[in-house]
Amino acid sequence: MSITSFSFLCFFAAVLFLYYVIPKKAQWSFLLFVSFAFFMTSSEVTESGGWYVIFYPLAAVAAVYFAARLMDRTKEQKKRRAALICAVIFCIGLLCTLKFFRLPLLAPMGISFYTLTLLGYLFDVYYEIGKVQNNYGKLVLFTCYFPTMVSGPILKYGEMEEQLYSGHKLDYRRVTFGMQRMLWGFFKKLVISERMAVIANEIFNNYESYAGFPVWIGAIAFTFQLYTDFAGCMDIVLGISECFGIILPENFNAPFLARNISEYWRRWHITLGTWLKEYLFYPLLRTKFFMQLPKKLKDKVGKKRAKQITTFLAMFLLWFAIGYWHGGTWNFIIGSGLLHWFYIVSGELAEPLFVKMRAFFHIKTESRGFILFQRLRTFLLVVLGLIFFRSSTVSDALRMIGRGFSAFNPQIFVDGTLFSFGLDWIELTIAVVSLLIFEWVTIQQQKGWMRERLEKTNIVVRWIVLYALLFYVILLGQYGPGYSASEFIYQNFKV
Amino acid sequence: MSREEVFEKLNEVFRDVFDDESITVNDTTTADDIEDWDSLEHINLMAAVESEFGIKFSMGQIMTMKNVGEMADIILQKI
Repeated sequence: MSITSFSFLCFFAAVLFLYYVIPKKAQWSFLLFVSFAFFMTSSEVTESGGWYVIFYPLAAVAAVYFAARLMDRTKEQKKRRAALICAVIFCIGLLCTLKFFRLPLLAPMGISFYTLTLLGYLFDVYYEIGKVQNNYGKLVLFTCYFPTMVSGPILKYGEMEEQLYSGHKLDYRRVTFGMQRMLWGFFKKLVISERMAVIANEIFNNYESYAGFPVWIGAIAFTFQLYTDFAGCMDIVLGISECFGIILPENFNAPFLARNISEYWRRWHITLGTWLKEYLFYPLLRTKFFMQLPKKLKDKVGKKRAKQITTFLAMFLLWFAIGYWHGGTWNFIIGSGLLHWFYIVSGELAEPLFVKMRAFFHIKTESRGFILFQRLRTFLLVVLGLIFFRSSTVSDALRMIGRGFSAFNPQIFVDGTLFSFGLDWIELTIAVVSLLIFEWVTIQQQKGWMRERLEKTNIVVRWIVLYALLFYVILLGQYGPGYSASEFIYQNFKV
Repeated sequence: MSREEVFEKLNEVFRDVFDDESITVNDTTTADDIEDWDSLEHINLMAAVESEFGIKFSMGQIMTMKNVGEMADIILQKI
């Protein structure tokens, strides 16, 4: 059962109905039950027939559950530390064995997300900033709450506790807001992402027969494919949860409006960035080695440089971790890790030069033109990284980038070549128009939620907008298996 | 040490860390008020405050400190 499938929507409708009919006290147990059901019927799990993968999250939660309770009861720092280390090794070990070393065992859905959620809870208890949960079932729900099992967001226990277990009355406004958000997610995923995927697949799979601009079009198409897929998925997930009255943390905040790479990472996959900052980067910088490094370097290179070198070194480890988490192979480590580290470090080292240049050319840093330049530059740097991300190997990526520079052919924009990447002119127009709508809304949302503004308009305008979007998605969405008529017919035969 | 004295010392530390002589902090100062106070500088700032007062913050305190007022409270508890 994929989150965009018709069967999932039916499942969701039934769950939503039951959720608000049963007593409030029973809601969390019901969500726990539903999460198990979702987990065991999800396409990833059932295709390989491995329902037993449910035991991996249950085991990880058990380890963290006992470690956290032990930490809560004892003040002895040695024991607390030992409990922490054992539980962390167990969870990370399980994650790496199942996901990255590609053993014949099957990695359960969402493992890299729920492991971080769970470890965040454990660290909070260890640092004495979070409460301990003494009910195993409740901790399982926090870890395996079904909307977040697909691809996050990574949760913080302190933000979720009250919402997950307290029960909710039916709030019409919240449910409609949730559904509107789901619809917007379907728009991103089914209308835009699926179309971008056609272009990206064509060009990445046959990059050797392309040169010049088509290569960059492919890379940009993949960038939008990935973004609208992931952010659309988040809209659906956050929308579903909102219907239950449970507000999940935001994962995206218009990343392509970022003016530099650091800002981009504060806007893209926000919950991962926050998690790594708080539970990896800060503790790393507080280790003896990193605390003493600036003092050791101070006499040789001066105070400022010493601080800089230390930060860069710690950041190198952080970005390596981000890249590794994304896939565990070099194209991920470079494309969504070390390349971004390089951008940030070189940007900071060159900053004095940039300052001089801006002064020389009399550039106003807050002028519209300069901001646009910064956004475009940041976007293109991200695109370059995603070429590594999408390619099978680093050498493929390098060869593809080489192909991009091997020809200058602006004529492809006018001679019809654009329609040869898998989308005809109608499809391409739909894709571009949808992208423009999406970008316009994104910019508008910077001033506040579209849903709230829509709420203030009169009923006619509101319904026209919503129905237009609904039919836009229904008519123009590119449905995967499970939606298409042929699939329905085929299923009849299977029974 | 009085609260005022703590703030006086904190001002010195902030000016030194952020390289800006015009900084004056008070109870409600947060990272939003000082341009260079980002997640990277936060740890450097913590280390500088620790060595100035001869104390050590816990990881939890570093992560949850909301403003300079809270920082001063923790310092006063520890010295």
